[in-house]
Amino acid sequence: MEPRFTVSEFIDVVNQTLDYAYASTLVEGEVSELKTSQGKWVFFSLKDETSSLPCFIPLFKLKVPLEDGMKVVLRGHPKLTAWGKFSFTIEQIMPVGEGSIKKAFEMLKKKLEKEGLFSPERKRPLPENLVNIGVISSTGAAGYADFCKIVNARWGGLKIQTAHTQVQGLDAPAQIIRALRYFNEKSEVQLIVIIRGGGSKDDLACFNDEGLVREIASSKIPVMTGIGHEVDESLADLAADLHGSTPSNVAELITPDKEALVARIAQNIKGARSKIAQAIITAYESLKNVRENMASRINTEIEKIRSNLKLIERLNPELVLKQGYSIVSGKLAPGSIVEITTIENIATAEIKAVKERK
Amino acid sequence: MAEKKTISQKIAELDELTNWFYSEDFSLDKSTEKYQKATNLAKEIEEDLKNLKNEITVIDKDFAKE
Repeated sequence: MEPRFTVSEFIDVVNQTLDYAYASTLVEGEVSELKTSQGKWVFFSLKDETSSLPCFIPLFKLKVPLEDGMKVVLRGHPKLTAWGKFSFTIEQIMPVGEGSIKKAFEMLKKKLEKEGLFSPERKRPLPENLVNIGVISSTGAAGYADFCKIVNARWGGLKIQTAHTQVQGLDAPAQIIRALRYFNEKSEVQLIVIIRGGGSKDDLACFNDEGLVREIASSKIPVMTGIGHEVDESLADLAADLHGSTPSNVAELITPDKEALVARIAQNIKGARSKIAQAIITAYESLKNVRENMASRINTEIEKIRSNLKLIERLNPELVLKQGYSIVSGKLAPGSIVEITTIENIATAEIKAVKERK
Repeated sequence: MAEKKTISQKIAELDELTNWFYSEDFSLDKSTEKYQKATNLAKEIEEDLKNLKNEITVIDKDFAKE
């Protein structure tokens, strides 16, 4: 006998069959006829050139700003309602295509900016004496390999714990959020680093997920991001405390360069050596100055003595006699006897008269 | 036994030593001793840096699961 269902039974069976066949399905299309009902439910049609799919998501689950015309990829499952209406119940949404990603980015950026999630006052500096670091990345990704290579080349003694997660696609935000919570609740890392190498706008779109951005902003442990290339900017970057342009750049920013340090130390030692050499030269110069001053003073004294000797020599009576003069000794008065000394003789004479010269 | 100094502590100590050479406390009498100490410390730091390795571990947890 052919099975015969009640309407409710039939709808249940159809839903079971749909669940079995399409438990978690991705559908891509363009949003149209977007509307919110009672501030709780969001309805829209997802369409392409020829078909249209009615979609539904509770408002609290909607982490991406939507607008008619945006291209999105949905994860969800089909469902037949009790009223026989077919719809697609959405679990996750992600914009696709440059235009839609940009639009969603700008809309969410504006909203979160208003809430102050990106304000500079919230930013914490890089922790001092950084040793314990938590990394969130895909361990197979090139960006992660670059990060490890540069960290190992630049510094040592770090304890890095890596949480392996997807870093692109619809599942990436939830996995990264779980990793952020893990580090905040179960580890003693001083810094959490989220890294992902370059990719297309679609690849990096998961870093604009509202839930992820809020989780980064509320992390008790400072968060640093290094996502994509220099030109890429994600909302995760804006919410993070610190931001490197690439995974390699993050590695450079969080580690000192041991080669540069060795060079600096060598320079400082060289500086100390020249300071000693300079001090020795200064001491030698000052000693030389003292010696020169002493020699100069001694010479001055010698000159003085010589000059005095010359004076004394000039006053020597013998010198006067040599010049042909005579020395008269005795009282200079008429009738007195005086002695006249010349260079060769001594004569005795009597003074006949004395008169003034003028 | 004295606690082993970390590399950061050694670097800080070396910086202090080399800064002394540019300070007002500098004297030629003490400079040779300080210089010797600084060069020994510099060698130690360089050696430490050569031997220092990072520990990188992947957490044994599946973040794909709730």
